[in-house]
Amino acid sequence: MEERLYDLIFICRPATPEEEVKKIIAAMEHACAEKGGKVEKTEQWGTRKLAYRVAKHREGYYVYMQVKTNHGDLIPEFERRLRVQDAVIKYMTVRLDEDLKRQQKLTRHREKRAARRPRRTPAAEQTAAAS
Amino acid sequence: MSEEQKQAQPAAPAGGGAPPPRRSNGGPRREGGPGGPGGPGGPRRGGKRQYFRKKKVCKFCVEKSDFIDYKKAETLAPFVQERGKILPRRMTGTCSRHQRWLGVAIKRARNIALLPFSGSTPGAGSSAPHRFSDRGDRGGRGGDRGGERGGGDRGPERPVERPAEKAPEKAPEPPSEKS
Repeated sequence: MEERLYDLIFICRPATPEEEVKKIIAAMEHACAEKGGKVEKTEQWGTRKLAYRVAKHREGYYVYMQVKTNHGDLIPEFERRLRVQDAVIKYMTVRLDEDLKRQQKLTRHREKRAARRPRRTPAAEQTAAAS
Repeated sequence: MSEEQKQAQPAAPAGGGAPPPRRSNGGPRREGGPGGPGGPGGPRRGGKRQYFRKKKVCKFCVEKSDFIDYKKAETLAPFVQERGKILPRRMTGTCSRHQRWLGVAIKRARNIALLPFSGSTPGAGSSAPHRFSDRGDRGGRGGDRGGERGGGDRGPERPVERPAEKAPEKAPEPPSEKS
């Protein structure tokens, strides 16, 4: 199985102390390492307003992780762990590698096309070269 | 508005027999189009076009973006109504490809409470008044819909409400998503 990239977002209760959030993140990283995955990115977005009420909360503490793995069974493990955490009110995992593959393909295609006609779209070529 | 309709209606049956000279004028061609939020520029007499409409361009094409990130709720917000409905392409001018990606991105953002599903008002405080006001509003809308559906009149408030109801929201969810 080829390598897959997952986005993992979970929302904690706004009253959760910082240490507990850190503990959850550490537990997730530990579980990831156990199953042979790799955490690419961890971001704490902090307390944000929720668009709708979740478990009677209007705000939530967002944590975002990006995980690379070869084993699909890492994700059920993650979700099981998040479900048993009292502080976590919502979570979501999204598989992203196929979207990113499509993005890379399109970007490559765009650059190629810009290179083929340099006279007609000089501005496009410049931006492609810059980015 | 009513004056034009009077002019256009006699012209239409005449078009069956002989092509009237009015036809080349363009006529009120896009009259039946949606009353967009930008609003029509107003009728112009004697011009080629009766309504001047700014050409809409796809925002994502201008930016040359190949991927719409569901995590950036602030970029998705202009394409969603306040109550959470996805705006149709004819409102926003998004190209079909980007609209497809946008739909997926908005649905993902909804799942993780970055954007509302339909029905949650942004300025609601505690639970009880929120529910009450919601119910009252729904009742009002239902009566409005039942009463004067066929009429072409659009009230000045909520100009985007009715066309958006027909918006296709059937973009397939990727199976990898779990909420």
